[in-house]
Amino acid sequence: MLLQSIKLENFRQFKNEQIDFSTDWERNVTIIIGENGTGKTTFAQAFFWCLYGETDFTDKSLLNKLVGTDLLPNQEAVVKVILRLNHGRTDYTITREQVYKKSYKNTLTSNNTVLNVAYRQEDGQLVYLKPLLCEAEVKKILPRELSKYFFFDGERIEKMSKEVQSGRKSSEFAEAVKGLLGLNSIISAINHLNPRSKYGVIGSYEESYDSKSDTNIQRYTKEIADFQVQIDDIQSRLDEIDDEIAKATTRKEDLSEKIKQYAEGERLQTEKEKLIGKLNAAKRSKATATSTLLKDFNSNMPAFFAKSTIKGALEVLSKEDFLGKDIPEMHSKTIEYLLSRGTCICGTHLDEGSVPYNKVKELIEYLPPQSIGVSVGQFVKDSRIRVKDDVDVLTNLQQMCALLSEQDDNILELIDDIKAIESKLGGGDIHSKVKALFQEQQLCDKAIRDLTNEMKNKNEQLGALKTKRERRITERAELSLRDDANKKIEIYKAYAQSIYDDLITIYQKSETVIRIKLQETINEIFKSIYAGSMSLSIDEKYNISVYVDDYDGDVETSTAQSISVIFAFITGIIKLARDNQVSEDNDKSMLTSEPYPLVMDAPLSTFDKRRIKTVCEALPRIAEQVIIFIKDTDGDLAEENLGVKVGCRHRFDKLNEFETKLM
Amino acid sequence: MFDKEYSFRGSHALKVDKLTAQFDENSKAKLFARNIDIYVNAPIVGFLYGRTALLDTSTQETAKIMGDRVIYSKEDLKYNYRLIILLDAKHEPDPVERINKAFRTIGTEVAMVDEALFESYVRGGVDVLYEKLIDGVANPDDYVNRLYDFIEEFDERFNQAISTESILALCEKANA
Repeated sequence: MLLQSIKLENFRQFKNEQIDFSTDWERNVTIIIGENGTGKTTFAQAFFWCLYGETDFTDKSLLNKLVGTDLLPNQEAVVKVILRLNHGRTDYTITREQVYKKSYKNTLTSNNTVLNVAYRQEDGQLVYLKPLLCEAEVKKILPRELSKYFFFDGERIEKMSKEVQSGRKSSEFAEAVKGLLGLNSIISAINHLNPRSKYGVIGSYEESYDSKSDTNIQRYTKEIADFQVQIDDIQSRLDEIDDEIAKATTRKEDLSEKIKQYAEGERLQTEKEKLIGKLNAAKRSKATATSTLLKDFNSNMPAFFAKSTIKGALEVLSKEDFLGKDIPEMHSKTIEYLLSRGTCICGTHLDEGSVPYNKVKELIEYLPPQSIGVSVGQFVKDSRIRVKDDVDVLTNLQQMCALLSEQDDNILELIDDIKAIESKLGGGDIHSKVKALFQEQQLCDKAIRDLTNEMKNKNEQLGALKTKRERRITERAELSLRDDANKKIEIYKAYAQSIYDDLITIYQKSETVIRIKLQETINEIFKSIYAGSMSLSIDEKYNISVYVDDYDGDVETSTAQSISVIFAFITGIIKLARDNQVSEDNDKSMLTSEPYPLVMDAPLSTFDKRRIKTVCEALPRIAEQVIIFIKDTDGDLAEENLGVKVGCRHRFDKLNEFETKLM
Repeated sequence: MFDKEYSFRGSHALKVDKLTAQFDENSKAKLFARNIDIYVNAPIVGFLYGRTALLDTSTQETAKIMGDRVIYSKEDLKYNYRLIILLDAKHEPDPVERINKAFRTIGTEVAMVDEALFESYVRGGVDVLYEKLIDGVANPDDYVNRLYDFIEEFDERFNQAISTESILALCEKANA
């Protein structure tokens, strides 16, 4: 397919603009330059709308705002895009239009879009396709699902590259690749013969046996069909199992990777826990020291506080004489008792006023409380005890405080260490995270084990069913040979089977060759775009992996690398498609293919200058037609690098928010 | 004397509560283990710092010491009472009369004025201890630091020049 021109009428800010594209074999690049907001993306979207009736715009109303405003009630305006292109050897004119009508409430309503496809016959006659056939014809020219590989913007490239590398869309890619590289015709032939479908040639023979000649043929046919159903079920379950195992394995690998990343974290976590243990011990030790300090202080403080007053009191007392006068172990109350009794201990009568009475009464002066010698003596004794056991409270306190200060330093140091580790860990409990990862990994292991067992069982069942089916087929073949009609069917079927087998072989061979060639082509392009010692590999399921040449393992790619990958991928496919078309090789004559253009909206914005140069050099070499919508700042650079390859250049100029003209 | 329940009152009760409160969750440490420890030591501190205080009746707060606890510490309380009475020359300039008060009239009706003095030193001592150890402290570690500063200051001010030997020598002399 080569794009010849596109014409936009009332399509958003384009009232009536047409762009011709370069179809020159050599100067195959068309550049469309415009400032931001001039409508480059709108123009690129116009292709999409014309072919498939859809756009990515949030505002679904496509009618030019000025035209819409000027409409009077009940008046109509048409949005139209006319795309002229060449496909195969035919020139097509594809037109899509949509009628907008103003209501009396001043609102715009739109009808469904109408697609028209016309082509010019070799005799020059213009033929319009019936409306019902138009969409099918567009699909034939460029199926919608493949279109995104040829009409894409910078954002989409990024998205696609992620999809390609995640492997999620690999089956879609595989289909795209097969389609674009011309394997579709073989696939169609294989599907046409398909023995597994009763609508396929071989399948329909299965249904055609004449059972009247022998009831066993009918029974066997039914059994064979039943076996086939079971085989198909098992086969599809096996495919599912394959997928599930692959998913579980990928997840397990992801988990291993995460666990590996956490290994350092886990070491830090262990270290942190050790430090927390030490910190708690240091805190306990400090607490013990504090409580010992205060216990000592409480028991020694009376003597400490009183020390100076004890000395002062003793000095006061030492100036008086209290000793030698007291009668030991007696109290004044003893004397008062004797006086009131009137008899001394010795038996002498103590009559008041008598000499013995007065003598005994005098003794009161030498007894407490009148005499204080005993009390003072006890006070001095108490003082001696207090002072004698005096502990150096200050020195003790100093030592304990020094110990506490050491412990404080230790605690602060530990807290600092823990904080440092925590900042490295970035919060959260690594052990529990790793434990969860391990548990998930075990679940994956279990799933893989269970699925592998199931696969083994299914394979055994499959083998048994196939044997049974083969036996029945043989038996039926023997029976059918006895009847002429059935014999014929058996022979036809054998022919068809043989063709089918041949086609499968050719398909597989071609597919492998194409895949390997695609890998080589992509690598060649990738290396020319993205200088660096990296290679791409494509596995059987069309998953793409990026390798550093001297490193064993898939590597994480940067955005520029990822985009280079997808560039290489798309341009690789186009290059192969083009090679196919010009090939004279007989084997490849079965692989018909059509070259496609590359229509790109702002493809260079993620690249640096050096890569823009390499991309600009590579693209026109690879694609048959390159149409680039580009902002003015990148435009000069692109034009400079694309140089002589530019066949057409256009520039948009924004008249106002609602209208852009082509200069 | 010193044979029944005792209560700190008003602001002094609040200060006693704080002086005996647990200040550190980890060590469960308190500056003073019990109210009685303050009752025994505060009067000496009050006397040495020359601080007395009136009974604060502005609030109904009390910090009590049970009667048996007071009786158990009676000898220590009496001893400190005597120290103060023997030394407070402002209260009684005549040393012989101070000795008389300390040993002869102690616990009698005439001693009520002396007991009142002792009690005002108890309250003054509580004020000093609170100012030195609690007031303005922000975190647990500061309590120990403040205690250390106070003990160091006290030691320097009152104890440093006094040797145990000199006191023991005085004991000998008083007994001679």
